[in-house]
Amino acid sequence: MDAGFGAQKAGEILIRAFAAAGVHVYSEPVIPAEISPPPRTPAALSGAIIRVADFKIGNIGNHTDLILASHEILLETRLGDHEAGPGCRILLDVGLRKSNAEDFQRVIDQVIERGYELVEFEIGETSAMLIKSLNSGKNLYYLGILARIYNLTFELVEPEIRKVFFKLPEGKLAKNITLFRNGYDYADTHIDYRIEIAMARGREEEILIDGNAALSAGIIDAGIKFMSGYPITPASTVMHTLAADFAAYGGIVHQAEDEIAAVGAVIGAYYGGTPSITCTSGPGLSLKQEFIGYAAMAEIPLIVIDAQRSGPSTGMPTKTAQSDLPAVIFGRHGDNTTIVLSVADVDDCFYAPHVARYLTEKLKIPVIVMTDFQIANSFEVVHKMAVTEMETIDDIPDHVLQRFYIERLPESIEMVKDNQAIPGTPDGMRRVTGLNTDAAGEVAYCPASAQRSHEIRNRKLHAVRYALQEPEIFGPEDADLLVVGWGSARDIIHEAVSVAQSRNLSVAGLHLKIVYPLPLMLADIFKRYKKVVAVELAYGDDLKPAPLASLLRMETAMNIISALSPATGRPLTPRSVLMKIQEYLCEHDI
Amino acid sequence: MSTISEAPAAVAIREGSQEMTIKSLAIENPRWCPGCGDFGILMALKRVMVDEQFNPADTVHISGIGCSGRTPNYIRSYGIHGIHGRAIPLATGLILTRPDLNIFIESGDGDSLSIGGNHLLHGFNKNVNCVYLLFNNELYALTKSQTSPTTRKGHKTNTQPTGTYLDPINPLRFALGIGASFVANTADWMSDHLVATLKLAAAHPGFSFVHISQRCPHFDPNAFQHKKADWMTFLTHKNGVTPERRFVKKAEVREHDPSDLQAAFDAAEHFKSWFGLIYQNSDKPRYEEILRAELESTPPKPRSALLDKYLI
Repeated sequence: MDAGFGAQKAGEILIRAFAAAGVHVYSEPVIPAEISPPPRTPAALSGAIIRVADFKIGNIGNHTDLILASHEILLETRLGDHEAGPGCRILLDVGLRKSNAEDFQRVIDQVIERGYELVEFEIGETSAMLIKSLNSGKNLYYLGILARIYNLTFELVEPEIRKVFFKLPEGKLAKNITLFRNGYDYADTHIDYRIEIAMARGREEEILIDGNAALSAGIIDAGIKFMSGYPITPASTVMHTLAADFAAYGGIVHQAEDEIAAVGAVIGAYYGGTPSITCTSGPGLSLKQEFIGYAAMAEIPLIVIDAQRSGPSTGMPTKTAQSDLPAVIFGRHGDNTTIVLSVADVDDCFYAPHVARYLTEKLKIPVIVMTDFQIANSFEVVHKMAVTEMETIDDIPDHVLQRFYIERLPESIEMVKDNQAIPGTPDGMRRVTGLNTDAAGEVAYCPASAQRSHEIRNRKLHAVRYALQEPEIFGPEDADLLVVGWGSARDIIHEAVSVAQSRNLSVAGLHLKIVYPLPLMLADIFKRYKKVVAVELAYGDDLKPAPLASLLRMETAMNIISALSPATGRPLTPRSVLMKIQEYLCEHDI
Repeated sequence: MSTISEAPAAVAIREGSQEMTIKSLAIENPRWCPGCGDFGILMALKRVMVDEQFNPADTVHISGIGCSGRTPNYIRSYGIHGIHGRAIPLATGLILTRPDLNIFIESGDGDSLSIGGNHLLHGFNKNVNCVYLLFNNELYALTKSQTSPTTRKGHKTNTQPTGTYLDPINPLRFALGIGASFVANTADWMSDHLVATLKLAAAHPGFSFVHISQRCPHFDPNAFQHKKADWMTFLTHKNGVTPERRFVKKAEVREHDPSDLQAAFDAAEHFKSWFGLIYQNSDKPRYEEILRAELESTPPKPRSALLDKYLI
């Protein structure tokens, strides 16, 4: 639909209805970077790509089986993604055809040429009048059509409409529900095919949650009490959620004057002993870099969430990417001692703040949590996470650390500065500074002191290296090919490798959650495979390996191939990974 | 570690701590040049801490980068010597989460008005409770004489060797224009006036902005005629600051009502020579109190049910 007409809301209701029906669901929002771009232009495309299955899914899948488009321009734009599968069914609202006959004909010709099954429909007069009077509501009519096709009953969908439109006055709500009914009835009599997804799971203790909501809940559960941020897509919704929820759990949200102030406030709060966090995205990350280095030097805990989006610069703010890896690892001046965690799914989003808090308070070095637009905005149905109600970092459960493939750190960690007292501690008075200091915390410029500080900071990082366990591996312990990825690529690699294995291909997958530092045994693992390739959503080509591939080369001194590294702003698909697997196994003579 | 302190402002010295004196607050010999105005400001800060019994364990000095930025390193209290221009964000985070602490910010003219200008603007506006000292020596000194936002026009520096191009920014007008709740003007070489000003600033509930003309004998020895008084004007009021005794005979003394905003704007035009309490409004809402009220008025929820609202 054109942006501004409720496609996101309709998508959310549909996702909720699928979840309520007991099927597995995963989604990718399609959101323009502008609020109301001109309608009937490709830039206006707003919608949701929804995958449903009778098995657990954690990625958007390969191709589209059904497209509903509100007019021909948006349909043409979506067809341009080349994601429609063979026999894809296309529902096209032809209500605007009279005034745009040529455009409609052009697009319909494309549809026919590609062999898709076209269903033209038009919103009936009664509904059209209602939509006119409301100045909205097409989305609910479309929702009704889709609900009928997927056999989602009125009784199932209606409560979800009420949940999503809880702010609407009853009169308007009733009209929207009428439009839903009208769409439903239209499909009942005019569209003859149905798609049945078997109910695949119980509904006990199941939740429907998106990545940023899970992250926000995780922040609360991890005992973090202060969040400061600055509006930026796609990180903002963490601040929105916490602004609504945090106070009830004793937390404060501070909207800072800029990205730098947001991270500065977190460092100030953590210096005072309050577990704190800031949340940003690429451009904000760049601005925060000086303070991140400062926190490492001053030995003040710091947690930064980076919700990655397509860059560089402003790039495509509403499109996904994994291209900030070099920035978080190498983006600051001087020696780097920072830990970088990544999340693979909404469960990880919930537990990442716990691990980040544990590591940063234990080691007094910054922890950056990497999510991305796709995970931040995708809804998933998962079993309700186990709430830990963490008060201090000693409360962190083993299963949370194990989820990130890391063991508990040694009890005692040496710091550059002996005194780590927080203000208010009698006789603990101490000053922190970005200057080099000695063990007493006094400014020191002598060569031996600078060397000592570097060594101690790096020993803290080494403590993580030693604590890192073998990362998650899908498939055999040795094979012809190993596919490596990080963050949101996990489920995609998992699915691709599973399919490949079912075709008797000699392949395994490896997923990294903590991406810096890397586990010490990584090179030994890689040596068990004839060829190791990296797949990631960050630019690379024949002359320039993509960031993960480069990092793995650097860390292992092995020839890691950058096999798949698109910069399209769209998530990786299992099929694209599978094709690479086949290519490397069949064409590259292992 | 995990809860935000709820203690009210605590300034009393804790039992068992040693008695606080100017000497007990000293750490190392400051690494400023001989004759630097920063020595006077450092001494004044220590006098205020002793006279007002600011427990060093509950006091945090926060600074940016530059000569002024070194101040926290020379006071035996808690301190954060941060990054250039960003003392206010550090302080804001600490004030929001630890309202029990006494916060002083020490910053320079480049730190405050150039790289940190945005934060100062928001410091005035948010009115978080702290004392803000702007050490104005009218140039960048630690990096060896570059033009700052307050360098007088025509003054030759290493970055503008033919003479500084622009008129200086007026820090007092900036503060008043944004709506600062406390604006005072003093100088490093008038120690009693400086101490009295800082005491008023410390007692003020909100963001107390103290502009301090500060000598830099190394790079700009002629900036201030600190031994003469005939160019100085002291603003007096029953709620204000007593004029510096050794200058009062030769200086002009004017009655000035610090609650009068228009009079404050007029006085601010003379930011190089009029000293005293320019403006004070004790009723301006404080950001940290607003957020705390929000926190306290929200009914608590158990974390055990945190995810229940997402149940299908």
